[in-house]
Amino acid sequence: MNSSSSNQSEFDYLFKLLLIGDSGVGKSSLLLSFTSNTFEDLSPTIGVDFKVKIVTVGGKKLKLAIWDTAGQERFRTLTSSYYRGAQGVIMVYDVTRRDTFTNLSDIWAKEIDLYSTNQDCIKMLVGNKVDKESERVVTKKEGIEFARKYGCLFLECSAKTRVNVEQCFEELVLKILDTPSLLAEGSAGTKKNIFNQKPPQADASAGSCC
Amino acid sequence: MEYYFQTNCAAKSSEWTDELHELQLMFGVKEFMVIAPATASGVVLDVPEASKLLSSVAIALSNCGSIWPAFVPVHDPTREAFFGIQNMGTIFTRRFDADRIRSQVPIKLMHLEGLHQLFLSKFGLYATDFSTNFLKVKFLMRLTYITPPFDGEDDAQVREHEVSQSPGKKDIQTYIKTIWDDDYPWSNWYSAEDPLKGFELTAIWSEHTVDDSLEMEELENASVFEAEKWLLSPVLELNMTDDPMGHFIGFSSQLRLLVKALDASFEVKFIEDLITDGNPASVPSPSVLDRVLKGLFHDGQIPDRQHDHGIGGTIKGAPLGSLFAQFCLNALWFGNCNIHAIAVLWIEFVREVRWCWEESQPLPRTMTNGRIDLSSCLIHQKLQMLAICIGKKGVKRDVNGNSSVSDVDKDPPIMTEDMHEERLQAVEAFGDEFSFSALLEREILSSDMSAFKAANPDAVFEDFIRWHSPGDWESVENEERSSASESVRMKGDWPPRGRLSARMSDHGNSWRKIWDESPSLPASEQKPLLDPIREGEKILHYLETLRPCMLVEQMISSAFKASLDTLSQTSYGDLKQMKLKIEQLYKTISTSLKPLRGNIVADRAELIGDLVRLCAVFEHVEKLLIFAASIRHKLADATRLCEAIFSDFYNYYLPKMGTGSSNICYDKVFKSKQLIKAHEREVIISLFPHPTANQSWRKVLSMGNLLNGHEPLTREIIFLAHDGATDDQYGRNVPRGSPGEVCTHRMYVCGTSNDLQVALSVTSWD
Ligand SMILES: Nc1nc2c(ncn2[C@@H]2O[C@H](COP(=O)(O)OP(=O)(O)O)[C@@H](O)[C@H]2O)c(=O)[nH]1
Ligand SMILES: [Mg+2]
Repeated sequence: MNSSSSNQSEFDYLFKLLLIGDSGVGKSSLLLSFTSNTFEDLSPTIGVDFKVKIVTVGGKKLKLAIWDTAGQERFRTLTSSYYRGAQGVIMVYDVTRRDTFTNLSDIWAKEIDLYSTNQDCIKMLVGNKVDKESERVVTKKEGIEFARKYGCLFLECSAKTRVNVEQCFEELVLKILDTPSLLAEGSAGTKKNIFNQKPPQADASAGSCC
Repeated sequence: MEYYFQTNCAAKSSEWTDELHELQLMFGVKEFMVIAPATASGVVLDVPEASKLLSSVAIALSNCGSIWPAFVPVHDPTREAFFGIQNMGTIFTRRFDADRIRSQVPIKLMHLEGLHQLFLSKFGLYATDFSTNFLKVKFLMRLTYITPPFDGEDDAQVREHEVSQSPGKKDIQTYIKTIWDDDYPWSNWYSAEDPLKGFELTAIWSEHTVDDSLEMEELENASVFEAEKWLLSPVLELNMTDDPMGHFIGFSSQLRLLVKALDASFEVKFIEDLITDGNPASVPSPSVLDRVLKGLFHDGQIPDRQHDHGIGGTIKGAPLGSLFAQFCLNALWFGNCNIHAIAVLWIEFVREVRWCWEESQPLPRTMTNGRIDLSSCLIHQKLQMLAICIGKKGVKRDVNGNSSVSDVDKDPPIMTEDMHEERLQAVEAFGDEFSFSALLEREILSSDMSAFKAANPDAVFEDFIRWHSPGDWESVENEERSSASESVRMKGDWPPRGRLSARMSDHGNSWRKIWDESPSLPASEQKPLLDPIREGEKILHYLETLRPCMLVEQMISSAFKASLDTLSQTSYGDLKQMKLKIEQLYKTISTSLKPLRGNIVADRAELIGDLVRLCAVFEHVEKLLIFAASIRHKLADATRLCEAIFSDFYNYYLPKMGTGSSNICYDKVFKSKQLIKAHEREVIISLFPHPTANQSWRKVLSMGNLLNGHEPLTREIIFLAHDGATDDQYGRNVPRGSPGEVCTHRMYVCGTSNDLQVALSVTSWD
């Protein structure tokens, strides 16, 4: 997966991805790590944040629009609208905090069912902060079981050391590219402009309404 | 037999009073009665029957001492023929006789001279014998002209122009009909039928004494300017004002469809759902869609805020001319504004907006001045915000040259109303963790300080305070004014002596800490407080996932506003009632649409009902305005007449306004007859342009009394013969024309070249 810095409007597909999970699990750090290769102490996310990254996967140039949500209960109504139209959802938990893992099945998986408008939407489970191996309380096996149960992809990573960060997004995107209905959605939002396209053929069947 | 009584007690001030019953006009009588077969029309009384009936009536009337005239209909009802009789005291009897020719009128009777001779023949005399003073003939005339169709003029000009341009192609002339409302603001969207078909001009010649038939010929050539009295009345296209079937197409009819779409939108969760199950027949073809989008996004002018009606500002809609307002107006006419058509248009609209975003192209028709108009609807705010984001994202950072204080960006953060709300929510959410608003303040402050440091490398904290917040600097000088001389101050002593305010002393430490921590960095190199990429994508996300009812609700506000804003640009002169009605409508819309704000709809049926009623009110104002525009256009140079006629129409129309139900019966007929003042005559004449050669061929002119080449619609004349010799001989019950004279003969003639009505009253002493 190669990042590209050229004109961002030249892309084949536009995919919307969403990061969810409890506050403090490292969603924003993960996003920053992926989009700008840096890690810094961030202030809590307010409402919804957004980053864009152009990547090349399988010869296709993709624009990834990634929404980072605030974990707080208070922002639920605000963030719920961002499930709509998303082709991929990344569920993040902190391997050093069990509650963030159990909340995934108690809260977050239910949120997806409730708000996601796309049945084919790809879900991905990510256990973060593996650099703090000594403090780990959620095992990898538990993660795998959860993923199997909910039918999601699974990876463990560290936003701090950047281990597996790129892979998280790449796996997800490859799966989206494999899903025809998502591919169609992704291409619908791309370049189109009335002034540089051929005039449409007059539709004979609908000719009566003008 | 049935008896009809009709009385008119009004003093007979003129032969031409409008309120006259036609029999009063025809026979010059006041009270009268008509005796007609009970079985109404269709039954024909032949002449012997009618005479028999009339004489028995006459005997009956004289027995009871009645002096009322009595009439019986005779012949075919279409001839409007009557016999009549009136006992006048003991000596006189007046007999009446009227008939009508509804076909080609003999040439002689088409002209005044011939009619005069007809009148004279009723005395059993010939014109040549009529040289004595034995009888005086008096003559009155009323001519009614109707203005030629208003578009005829332009039509003819086009033709003539083409003829002169290409003499060889006379037969391929294209017929270009000018539409009367071409220049009015609504004509971009629809064409209204002219509510004012034309005018009727009535010219009245009061009593003239006629000496001979030659004089009649002169009268036939007399200029209308010689008439003593001119009256003008408008001729209405009644389809427009009396429209129980709702045939009128205008903004109001389309707004009604939009309200219907709103009702339907509550049933649907996502815009896309409207397309997949959509009925394709209700959506215009791709080529229409293409044309609409091109119109919307092509070189859109930036909305001119000057057109914004003051009161209109209270309607939470997009300003006229803005991208979303234009979207709404287009949607009103796109596929008759059904919900499926709206969905198709919206999706393509958003796609275009995204294209502008991706390509960093400026959004057409979106003016911001760097501010968000929080009084407009949210979609418009979002588009303004997007325009700002496109601007910020597209601008390449300049390398900082000569920096100065003015370089510092002190603008408050740019936010749409939902961002303000979000921020409030955030403050609540983080309430305990840390002070969010303090954090934001800190960010802005730090940014200002960095820029200040960059611009003024040697500055200290106090300098910043004096510039940033002068109120927080207390000059020592003020207190020591008495001791410090003016000259010292003039020279200036730098740094100024003084101290931080008490308030600033409290905050002093934290501010100083921020000052110490802020790096020297020009505003242009700082990380912007507003991340244009993030905010822009958020906006597109909002547009792309907007729920149907949220979209249509905002369309309602913006469409009502933009429609009325468009209409109110119509020039209708200084018609105060019109202005008032428009202002009232703005207020009504503003209050009626309040329930739409905040998107909590308590009672959907009630809301829709209210909106439908609002459309009915809108329709009345719209029609009134079109009338105002039309009358103003036609009588622009006769302001007084224009206002008077409008006022008549307004008073006639007013009872209908404000009621939603169309099935209430208004039997009041519109009447307006305005006396034209002398100085207004020229303007009225201009309503009768000379017919072109082309047009005059179509008509056979035969009657005379032409007005700029136009024949009168009707010519009514009354001949009166007074017998001066019978003066005072026959007692009191004598009908008097003028004092001392007995009107013995009266003939009323009303006619054109193929319809002539003659009514005769003859007084005789038996
Ligand atoms: N050690 C370690 N700390 C992390 C990692 N990712 C995030 N953090 C820290 O966890 C805290 C919360 O991170 P943040 O990205 O704001 O979490 P969010 O609320 O999910 O967005 C911050 O102090 C981060 O520095 C990681 O991979 N390893
Ligand atoms: Mg965060």
